[in-house]
Amino acid sequence: MGLLRGNLSHTLGLHREPVSEFDPTLPIRAKHGDEQAFIRIVEFYYPRCLRFARNMLGSDQDAEEAVQDTFVRVHDSFSRFREDARFDPWLFRILANRCRTTMARNRRHRSLIEYGDIPQTATAEHEIGADWAEEVNVVLDSLPADQREAFLLRHVEDLSYEDISAMTGVRLSALRMRVKRACDTLRARLGERSEDDRQHGGHNG
Amino acid sequence: MIGNMVDTMDDERDEVIARVVGALSPFPQPRSAAVARVLMAVRARRAQPVSRLRRAIWWAEDTAVSAKAAGLLAAASLAIGFVARGTMTQQATFGGAESASIEMQPVASVSSAVPVAMAFELANAKTVSVVGDFNGWDPAANPMQRVGANGPWSTTLLAKPGRHTYAFLVDGTTLVADPRASKAKNPDFGGDASVLMVRTP
Amino acid sequence: MSPRTNNLLLGAALCAAMVSAHGVGAQEARLLSIRDDATRNRVRIFVEAARLRGTPTEPLVSRALEGIAFKADAKRIEQALAALEKRMRRAKELLAPHATVDELAAAADAIANRVPEKAISDLRRIAPRRTITVEIGVLTELVAKGVKPSVAATMVRDLMAKGATGAQLTELNAAVQQDVALGVTPMEALVLRTRGVMSLLPPAASVNAAQRP
Repeated sequence: MGLLRGNLSHTLGLHREPVSEFDPTLPIRAKHGDEQAFIRIVEFYYPRCLRFARNMLGSDQDAEEAVQDTFVRVHDSFSRFREDARFDPWLFRILANRCRTTMARNRRHRSLIEYGDIPQTATAEHEIGADWAEEVNVVLDSLPADQREAFLLRHVEDLSYEDISAMTGVRLSALRMRVKRACDTLRARLGERSEDDRQHGGHNG
Repeated sequence: MIGNMVDTMDDERDEVIARVVGALSPFPQPRSAAVARVLMAVRARRAQPVSRLRRAIWWAEDTAVSAKAAGLLAAASLAIGFVARGTMTQQATFGGAESASIEMQPVASVSSAVPVAMAFELANAKTVSVVGDFNGWDPAANPMQRVGANGPWSTTLLAKPGRHTYAFLVDGTTLVADPRASKAKNPDFGGDASVLMVRTP
Repeated sequence: MSPRTNNLLLGAALCAAMVSAHGVGAQEARLLSIRDDATRNRVRIFVEAARLRGTPTEPLVSRALEGIAFKADAKRIEQALAALEKRMRRAKELLAPHATVDELAAAADAIANRVPEKAISDLRRIAPRRTITVEIGVLTELVAKGVKPSVAATMVRDLMAKGATGAQLTELNAAVQQDVALGVTPMEALVLRTRGVMSLLPPAASVNAAQRP
């Protein structure tokens, strides 16, 4: 059944506690006006969407706003959701579009940030591994947005190239190239640090 | 076939990429009552739906309309506002079993059910759900979820204005009263439940 | 059948299920969650008999599942259902001429928590045309937390008569609970907080104002 195909493997993210599985009938029920089903969808996907938005935008506040908006849009557009379609790619398409809008807005406003303003960044709290996470974030931020998006969708959100291609309208070969370039940059700029850590026993990723 | 081979090649994560993915994978903690906020924004929009034309433009331009802004927009024109209250406005430091609820409601809505965000901290539980008179004490109605291995359990439920009694059902067998809510003695069955007062819109 | 047709059928089935969700079928489905056959049958017989007597059955099913959650045996659940039905029938008289199911359930809880019956009918008299579920709930909670029933009844009644809204009463209750947690006696807290709410109400508020939704 198309509805069930592959949904579960994607919805359980890498570090999510598998306390509950996503019920694939929820989007259909929500589409037909079941408010409790909509709540369950938001509850299930909120953390994952927030992770993607934060990795994409580098700001907790922007990420939270983008995710809140995304779910409002999901609700408004349920009439366009095909019942035989899978939910993850549909949701992430809306989220990725919303993140792009925020990035465009931030580019427009960047010139307004005066010296001395400290933009809020998505650095992890200071704990073991925080330095590494900070470095990863810095390099990730420096990637072109399309590479960052493709890398996060493929490697962190665990979506297939086919899904990403269907979501973004970008050809498979171009997507693979974006992910490869992103990986090359990450390796080139973080590989040395990773090697240092290993030699000094500070393996804290 | 060739596609699959390329996929496999791309998916080969060397140690650096694996560590990068490891750093980017933990789930951030959503702000409190995040789900209830979404629901209230959605309800405010339903109370005053964006016109088809405006919605089409909104989609075409992909303008940034935040949920908060959308809610406030509707609030301004309809005199609907948000009321947030509760015992917790940010994630508390949880010791043993701690919980808090936050309710949000549109000031002008009729006596429909109001979304109430619930949080509960209990280590070593495998499953937790909220049972109460608002969901007919149905263990399947409001299962709670947690972010990460030690995050608080949370869910958003719908309850009508009035006084409700509820408890948390841990691992499908044990009832636990909400340690941060007012207690309700159960006149029929003994044992403690908790009280949730949902205010009139 | 194509996956698409399949899913459309599933969608249609879900819609149909949602339409009947308020009906008897949904209630029966909930009763099926009672695993013990004997208990389930006794509950089902009681609920059906109550339906024939004209008692709303939703609160009864809810109370039965509450009993299951509290691991009560069949006999105790049956006693609880009988007690609840008796209270709801009394509540119906007190809330006459008409009451919603939520009001009946709230008033039955009030009676179980020793709220004076006259207090409940007084509230209905002040607001005959709107739901008073919240007001009854606040009164119940105040009494359950140790305020003398007659005093709680008078305070809530007077506040309502002066035009206090359900929201104001809920906030008053929250403030009282907070004060009690800080060591103030429930009575002192209620008197103090009632004075606070009274001062916010328009002095010329009439009974008509109290009937505003």
